[in-house]
Amino acid sequence: MSLLRNITSGLRSLFRKEQANRELDEELGEYLEMAADEKMKQGMNRKEALRAVRLERGSLEITKEVVRSGGWESLVDTLWRDLLFAARLLRKTPGFTLVAILTLALGIGANSAIFSVVNAMLLRPLPYPEPDRLVRIWEASLKDSDMRNVVGPLNFMDWRDRSRSFEAMAAMSGGDTNLNIDGRPVALPALTASPEFFSVLGVPPLLGRTFVPEDGLSGRENEVILSYQLWRSQFGADPSIIGKKTLVNDIPHTIIGVMPESFSFPKLKSQFWIPMVLERDDKAARGRWLTVVARLKPGVSLSQARQDIASVAKYTAQVRPDFNYNWTANVFPMLEDATLNVRRPLWVLLAAVGFLLLIACANVANLLLMRGTSRYRELAVRTALGATRSRVVQQLLVESLLLFLVGMSVGLFVANFGLHALLALIPQDAPLPRSEPVTIDARVFLFTLLATLFTAIAFGLVPALRLSRIDPQEALSQGSPRSGVGSGAQLLLRRSFVVAEVALALLLSLGAALMLRSFTRLIAVDPGFSSEHLVTMHIWTSPSHYSDKLKRSQYFQHILTEIRRTPGVESASSIHFLPLEGSMSGSCFASLDQPPPETAGSPDARFLIIGSDYFKTMGTPIVAGREFEDRDHLETPALAIVNRAFVRKFSPNQNVIGRQLNVCWTVNNPVQVIGVVTDARQLELQDTPEPTIFLSNAQTPMYFASLVVRAQGDPRQLMRAAEAAIHRVDPDQAVSQVRTMDSVLSDSVSSPRFQMTLLLVFASIALALAMIGVYGVVSHSVSQRTQEIGVRVALGARSLDVARMVLQEALILSTVAVALGLGGAFALTRLMQTLLFEVSPTDPAILFATSAVVLVVATASAIFPASRAMRVDPMVALRYE
Amino acid sequence: MLLLVAKGNRFMRDKPSDLVQGTLDMLILKTLALEPIHGYGISVRIDQMSKGVFRLNAGSLFLAIQRLERDGLIDGEWKPTENNRRARYYTLTAKGRKRLNNETREWGRQVTAIARILEAS
Repeated sequence: MSLLRNITSGLRSLFRKEQANRELDEELGEYLEMAADEKMKQGMNRKEALRAVRLERGSLEITKEVVRSGGWESLVDTLWRDLLFAARLLRKTPGFTLVAILTLALGIGANSAIFSVVNAMLLRPLPYPEPDRLVRIWEASLKDSDMRNVVGPLNFMDWRDRSRSFEAMAAMSGGDTNLNIDGRPVALPALTASPEFFSVLGVPPLLGRTFVPEDGLSGRENEVILSYQLWRSQFGADPSIIGKKTLVNDIPHTIIGVMPESFSFPKLKSQFWIPMVLERDDKAARGRWLTVVARLKPGVSLSQARQDIASVAKYTAQVRPDFNYNWTANVFPMLEDATLNVRRPLWVLLAAVGFLLLIACANVANLLLMRGTSRYRELAVRTALGATRSRVVQQLLVESLLLFLVGMSVGLFVANFGLHALLALIPQDAPLPRSEPVTIDARVFLFTLLATLFTAIAFGLVPALRLSRIDPQEALSQGSPRSGVGSGAQLLLRRSFVVAEVALALLLSLGAALMLRSFTRLIAVDPGFSSEHLVTMHIWTSPSHYSDKLKRSQYFQHILTEIRRTPGVESASSIHFLPLEGSMSGSCFASLDQPPPETAGSPDARFLIIGSDYFKTMGTPIVAGREFEDRDHLETPALAIVNRAFVRKFSPNQNVIGRQLNVCWTVNNPVQVIGVVTDARQLELQDTPEPTIFLSNAQTPMYFASLVVRAQGDPRQLMRAAEAAIHRVDPDQAVSQVRTMDSVLSDSVSSPRFQMTLLLVFASIALALAMIGVYGVVSHSVSQRTQEIGVRVALGARSLDVARMVLQEALILSTVAVALGLGGAFALTRLMQTLLFEVSPTDPAILFATSAVVLVVATASAIFPASRAMRVDPMVALRYE
Repeated sequence: MLLLVAKGNRFMRDKPSDLVQGTLDMLILKTLALEPIHGYGISVRIDQMSKGVFRLNAGSLFLAIQRLERDGLIDGEWKPTENNRRARYYTLTAKGRKRLNNETREWGRQVTAIARILEAS
């Protein structure tokens, strides 16, 4: 009640100032009259009476002022006046204002931009109802450290049927699938998902329905759900599409639903979904290839779910020891899983950009201090006229707040622009953890506002407290402000700001230098093949046409023959998982003299299925023996090639050529090793080469392959021709992901390149700001020491001595800063360890080189002030005093 | 806001006797408990009742009135005076009466306690 009254009364005097003032005047006037009447009754004349009242009760004017400033509204009033005054002051010094605002806009804008990415990737909840209950479940081999292995179908079915912690659990498998568009199959990313998929995520369809359990039964599976984008682009957004048929892998499928535009699944892009049929048959007993997502029952904790799944995993190990011995299962929150690889880099970038903001703020604080010196007189006059210290602080704070808020507004534009540039650095097809748009939303705005207010107050308060410490008598009696504000403590304060700036700039530069070194090491890695002149494309054959092994084997052979015949083609081959795309197969094997291989007990190797002439096409040297040729086919004895890592691990100092192996793969066992090749990087460039067994695609034909074609000249000119060659064999063969191998290589390092680029940009800005900071302080101290320099020159100092004196100041500041920065670097760069490739975060050469660069750059900022000091004319300098 | 109140305080220094902090509000409420009265009346009555010990400065008085009114302890109303002029008369509200009773009781307790301490030595 009284609060409301207080507010309304305050608002009244704020907005109806005239009336409130009139009433106060009248009330006080009446008071005076009454008091005067009283005195006059005692015999005074009116003039004496009024004077007596004023002596006794105080001046009426002062009373008015006291009453007016008694309410909260007067604070608003003074703040408003301070704001107007601050705005006027800033307009009067456009140079200072522009520099300060641009500095802040840069610092704040960079923060908003990076925070937008952090927000979109890490902070925003996943776009499903109750996303906290969503988890991913993986298998994990106790033999290696990988906690997230894809899942065997039988194990998945046991988890689904025997666990008690989950409301629903779904398995899926992604890949390009052929969809008939305009009479021709086109390979599009799609998910084959068990029917529970949509109910786990809890997203209803836009049209029609999602899968029901019966859709997972054999014979019912010929159904398809379209993405909104596909429905719009290929089906004309037909509202009556439900029930119509379309060809998926050349088999008619009924369209049963369309998903809403916003629907997506982290990392697994898909244009349509088809049901996965899972039955406890032979096919399900082999291999691990499912991705599993599940929804926890309400109230079930993650650790309960983990125990639950671990006990089911124990069961699966008991019933299928040959497949599951030494395997267990892991549960992770879905958001954590999706953002696994981007979390650390993003936090590092946010920290880097936070340092950048601190540097910008320190610069602005110094500018404020410096400008305060020239306003010393004004502040002294205010103090002399009765402004209290807190009143002066308030006014100075309002000024810096205004500056920061304008900086923020400009900063948001910078952020918007920066965000576009930033997102342009990410390759189109990069598997982002989240596909929701990265935008400057309410949370980003709030973050920006809070960061701005916090820094405005922190960095505005220090100069304000410093500048408000004024002795008006001393200040006004002296001719110049030099001995006042500009001295001692304030100089120390400004130097501390500059030292902090340079130290932070060194930290950022070190971060950038480490990333740069790491990146150059990374791209210098020999991938084990030569990517120039190579073009690659993906084909996925329709299982309905090529279910026959021989037919499939011959089909791939025809395609390769036809491509090789194309003018400009030097050679051509295929591999089932293209290098540097993060995919590979693993399986078991055993020598002929050992028991038949089984998943649990036998050694593992990577398996890659390649066409003839693969190593010749890729430019991978063959160490011994030969590679697959056209004469090796389904009817001839099964062959294998191994890499050097295989030889190193399993048969060092032995001749492996001619050895026979049994492999856990559908091929006519045993296979005979006919060649050894040098190691190549498969998953990524950072990969260490692992033992690998290559099998022939002619002898164990896959349904899909990446074709690799070596051109005599520019590989880009072969793209069309190679595609045409494929279509001469089968006009209906879908071809996708036609790219040069160079761009595959370059895309594979896109995320370290992204991090490096950003850190380099931030470090450059930081260094530039630090230079401005050093320049400002040194230049100011030169102008304050003009007289001293004049005396020195008059007494015979040479101009070089003067320059040395000035540069020395910068050198001392930078040296202190570099020492501090190095200390911080030892503590902080360790956090970058996981982002670095073959570089130690405390690499002495990098620490030394970067420190030297920062030291030189920071000291060099004093060159201009030094040259100005050299030109000081002693006559002028001394007369000036 | 604090700093502005502090600024106001500077003009209270030259009173014949400084009031214990917070007691001015209580005195004004007490004055108004008898009958509605205007600002000048309040200061005259406090002069009289304290036998001239507390001589209220106009600044402190009207500041306190504004505060009490905003807290809803008193209500102000323009009324004609005996001299046919207009003055703002203040009335104690129910809330103000309650506050006065509480503060009087509390004051009594404190005075007794302080007296006891002083006598003990």
